[in-house]
Amino acid sequence: MKRLALTNFSLKHPWLVLIMVVVAVILFGSQFPKVNFDNDPENMLSEDESVRVFHHETKEKYGLYDFVIVGIVNETDPNGIFNVKTLQRVDRLTKQLLSLRQGDDGLAQVAEDDAGTRWRSLDLSPDSAFKRAMGVVFSHNPNHLFDDDGKSAIIGDELIAPSVVDNIKQADTGALKLEYLMENAPQTAEDALVIRNDAMENPLYKGTLVSEDEKAVGIYIPIIEKTYSYNVASLVKELTKDWPEEDKIYIAGLPVAEDTFGVEMLVQMAISAPLAMLILFLLMYFFFRRVSLILAPLLLAVITVILTMGLLIGLGFDVHIMSSMIPIFIMPIIVCDSIHVLSEFFDSYRKYQNKAETLRHVVSGLFMPMLYTSATTIAGFASLATTPIPPVRVFGLHVAFGVAVGWLLTMTFVPAFISVFISEKSLHRICAVPEHPDQCDVDTGMLSRFLNWVGGFTYRKSWLIVLIATIIMGGSIYGVFLININDNPVKWFGKNHELRVADRVLNKHFGGTYTAYLTLAADSQKTVMGSQEIQKIIDAAQERFAKTKPAALKEFLVELDSIQSKLCSSGECDPVLFFTSLSDAAGKIDEKADKSWNALADVINYMDPDGLTYTTLEQKVQQVKDVSVEDKAVLLESLKADSSVTGEALMDKALDICDSFTGLSLREFVLEMNTELNAPAFKRPDVLRYVEGLQNFLLSTEKVGKTSSTVDALKKASYELQYVTPDASLAGDALATVEAENNSNFSIPKTAAAIGQVYMQLEGMKKKDSLFHMVTRDYQGENIWVQLTSGDNQDMTVVVDGVEKYVAENPPPVPLEIRWAGLTYLNVVWQEKMVIGMRTSLVGSFVVVLIMMLILFRSGLFGILAMLPLTITITFIYGIIGWVGKDYDMPVAILSAMTLGLSVDFAIHFLERGREMYKESGNWKDANARMFREPAKAISRNAIVIAFGFMPLLLAPLIPYRTVGFFLAMIMLVSWLATLFILPALIRILEKWLFKNTKSKNQKKEGRK
Amino acid sequence: MRRIIVAMMMAAIVGMTASVHAAELTVDEIVAKANDVSYYAGDDGRAEVSMKLSDGRSRDFVILRKDVPGGLDQMFYVYFKDPSDVRKMSFLVHKRPAESDDRWLFLPALNLVKRIAPGDKRTSFVGSDFLYEDVSGRGLQEDKHELFETTDSQYIVKNVPKTPSSVEFSSYKVWIDKDTFMPRKAEYFDKNQKLYRRILSNKIKVIQNYPTALEQVVEDVARGTSTTSNFSKVEYDVGLNDRIFTERFLRRPPREVTQ
Repeated sequence: MKRLALTNFSLKHPWLVLIMVVVAVILFGSQFPKVNFDNDPENMLSEDESVRVFHHETKEKYGLYDFVIVGIVNETDPNGIFNVKTLQRVDRLTKQLLSLRQGDDGLAQVAEDDAGTRWRSLDLSPDSAFKRAMGVVFSHNPNHLFDDDGKSAIIGDELIAPSVVDNIKQADTGALKLEYLMENAPQTAEDALVIRNDAMENPLYKGTLVSEDEKAVGIYIPIIEKTYSYNVASLVKELTKDWPEEDKIYIAGLPVAEDTFGVEMLVQMAISAPLAMLILFLLMYFFFRRVSLILAPLLLAVITVILTMGLLIGLGFDVHIMSSMIPIFIMPIIVCDSIHVLSEFFDSYRKYQNKAETLRHVVSGLFMPMLYTSATTIAGFASLATTPIPPVRVFGLHVAFGVAVGWLLTMTFVPAFISVFISEKSLHRICAVPEHPDQCDVDTGMLSRFLNWVGGFTYRKSWLIVLIATIIMGGSIYGVFLININDNPVKWFGKNHELRVADRVLNKHFGGTYTAYLTLAADSQKTVMGSQEIQKIIDAAQERFAKTKPAALKEFLVELDSIQSKLCSSGECDPVLFFTSLSDAAGKIDEKADKSWNALADVINYMDPDGLTYTTLEQKVQQVKDVSVEDKAVLLESLKADSSVTGEALMDKALDICDSFTGLSLREFVLEMNTELNAPAFKRPDVLRYVEGLQNFLLSTEKVGKTSSTVDALKKASYELQYVTPDASLAGDALATVEAENNSNFSIPKTAAAIGQVYMQLEGMKKKDSLFHMVTRDYQGENIWVQLTSGDNQDMTVVVDGVEKYVAENPPPVPLEIRWAGLTYLNVVWQEKMVIGMRTSLVGSFVVVLIMMLILFRSGLFGILAMLPLTITITFIYGIIGWVGKDYDMPVAILSAMTLGLSVDFAIHFLERGREMYKESGNWKDANARMFREPAKAISRNAIVIAFGFMPLLLAPLIPYRTVGFFLAMIMLVSWLATLFILPALIRILEKWLFKNTKSKNQKKEGRK
Repeated sequence: MRRIIVAMMMAAIVGMTASVHAAELTVDEIVAKANDVSYYAGDDGRAEVSMKLSDGRSRDFVILRKDVPGGLDQMFYVYFKDPSDVRKMSFLVHKRPAESDDRWLFLPALNLVKRIAPGDKRTSFVGSDFLYEDVSGRGLQEDKHELFETTDSQYIVKNVPKTPSSVEFSSYKVWIDKDTFMPRKAEYFDKNQKLYRRILSNKIKVIQNYPTALEQVVEDVARGTSTTSNFSKVEYDVGLNDRIFTERFLRRPPREVTQ
């Protein structure tokens, strides 16, 4: 028999098979040291994915980094964190982080004093020996805080903390002070309160650096690579471990969540997999009572995992979050197959009393179902290769490979193992005692009786079962529609995990620890002058000069017209050439009109105010050459009115008179227009007001706690620059007027020139280039920092959709390309791909499995029946997820493949065996009764072993592991129910049609006889 | 501008007497010479500066300097011509190494004169890689100096700050030409002793008998950015009026910068 070829070979040459397996294990196992771990969920998107490319471009363009967010919360002090001690600690911590360097021993060192004379060496290795061992196994060095050149992973220049962020404020003398927010750690309570006031008055810091409730302060630590986050978090913990109880440290941010997940995931893997093995072992021991016998499937699982992971590593793939779950997926599938073999072997041995014969019998019976259960599982996982997510593809294909290897080994290694290592004697001892069959079958009592009852029940109450199943299906389908598609890497941790706690606490205090970037880009090539701009010049000139200089204005407009007709074609002109010509022309007009007064003003400007009186001024004015005599006379006549004015005041008065005649020159006017009309987008007041509007809109959406842009910086700087200290004597309305005037300056300056000049001050702040995290250096791109209090994809999606709608309804004053970047947004994108990809691959593999079933059973009806348990299982599980309100996230999505692969297995076994039984019995009533003996028992054992074997996963601190545990239990339970209740009930109902061919065959046979 | 930076370098080279060959100059003498040549050349000066930042930004301005007789005090007036939005913006600095500097700022678009309180001088000058301290000078007393090396053509002086916590560097070295006493290069080292910043003085030309660098480059090695300043129309002993360096001239710029 062909199907026995592999097994016969293995029985004939067991040692050869065993040696081959050992060689393979050594070969693939030797790849393990090459392992490289990749904890970055960003790699869920392929490298050239446009959103990801754009995210990196944005990071590059605006000098953005991934941050580890450290929140320090003080709820006990009446002044919150603004007390001397806390601020001193924050300052100390900031300086320690900035000083981070690598010692000669490779360990981290931080300076103990500002001068950097005393250094403290830090060993961040975990205290527990187990964790240290895990670190070694997974090549995670907790002291890895430096790049290959030994440079600190912390980008000191970009660190955001009160001690190193710019502040602009009024100094005592009415001067402007530019320094760090916490230039020096406070020594007195008053100092601390000054820092509080400064922080609260700065829109860039309130809600981000310090919480609005004054109870929390943040340190944002930029790191060169996300993968340093976990170690940087450990460093912060180490540096703050001696802090008192009232100053609580919380560490948050997506990078640290993602990195921590990676690190803890591996540890979890190392705990969960062996624990699951142990429980599987115990359960199997309970059923089969022969350690040597159950050793085979367990060994099989381990070997398969080694071969699969060895292949993965050998092929050069990184062990990603996804691929680290391969073992936990492969184990149940492999164990499932071998339990069928064991169960049959165990039950059949009595009959044959010979290992080899029993094995041949078992394999010939199980060959087809096992081939197909494996093939369907392979199809389910291989279908993941169609998803657009590289790690999922790698995962799917490797699990498929593992399942194939598992099948091959079940056919070869298990027989070889049994024939070499299990003596007939040991089997005889328990199972060769025909007079005491119960000894062989420990669970005969309850399980057999129960299954016997189930068999009868399905035969008698088939319609009731179908009815109940239909109702449940209806409910499940409804539940599927309730499914909430959402993900948030922080929620991959259990509710009480320190990261979840930090997430809750910090998002309560701050504007949000989840950052997304809303970028607006103008077309920097657009510098055309059109008729529209020229009209603006004409309008502005008329407004400005119609009354003061009508003659000059007229001349100017004529010049403008001639320049336009000379330089512009079809309404467009070269702006540079246009403005050069126009300003030259304007200069000539000015020359005529203002020359004399300008010369007078210049002379006055240089006069020495000391001892300057009307008389001395008159003398000097009279000496000026090239000035019209009339103008001199007008000036002196006007000044004479009050000859008591002297010195500076006299000069001011004289200059005012000159100015009243010259006013603004036409040339100045042209240059101003040039500035205004050719300003880059984000120096234009209208565009910045648009940004302001967009920010206000963002703030109005629920989960956005804070936005920051250059608009905030501009407003603050504009306010402080123009601030007038109210005179101490002012009160009432007069004081209110001054204050109102000051407050009105907390706004976007009104001209591009004013904006440009304020920006210039911001460019020269103490923390270099911090402005350019929000605007490009050519001011053609703006980056709004959007902080969300939730990292849920759903919440981010609401914001994204809201902005899209807002922009559609409020088009920007200039064409802007508006795009999102940032990890919070990136997660939305890959999750969307995941959901769609999973759906497609699920549908695809469903079809593939259906085709397989049709081929296997060569019957449409049987094919459909075989699909029922998996359809019911998938619908029911996802229905429950919908009803319960658990988010459909990455782990849930990925488990659909597993569900499909596993839940079809029981149906295949049941139907294949059922059909054989029917052939033998000729009617379903008898076949049904027989089905509920060995075959049902094997299925039930399987369900129990897998469901319970992976129960420990439910206790895992990482949610995806719990999800896997829950799924495995549910898959087993539901597909067991569906297979053992619904299938026989339907067979009972459909008996006539199902076995039409079978019957006729039998009849033919009978006829021939 | 160039002279200011020279002054800063020279000012730094003070203190220790190096035990060099008897015929050689001591560090004190090198400093004194260099100071004399570069810092006190002329009573005043004027230059047009075209500053190009490696990221594409630029600033064109005119700088006027006048020394206050009988001391180290100096006055600076900086008038911006380009980019167009900051045209007519101006700065006024009264530098007093013995005490703190006075600084004023004029923003024409806001018609605003504002005094800037003394602060950290090691901050960027108008967003470039130059620091205020590069422009207005580092106090002589702030570093300890040592003659690190003497080559055929240059003295190399190493400078270590007396108060390390006040600056971001741990030391810097200056290369000074022996013949002209012109500092040609300065290299700054961070607290991990890594080079992170470099200043170069190029295109040395003798103008009115004063050696003058017509190009200066600051490289921020750590960030990978640089700023190049080109000096033109350099003049010494212009005879600048003291009153140019008063608030009045911020609003109404002197003809020395507008013409």
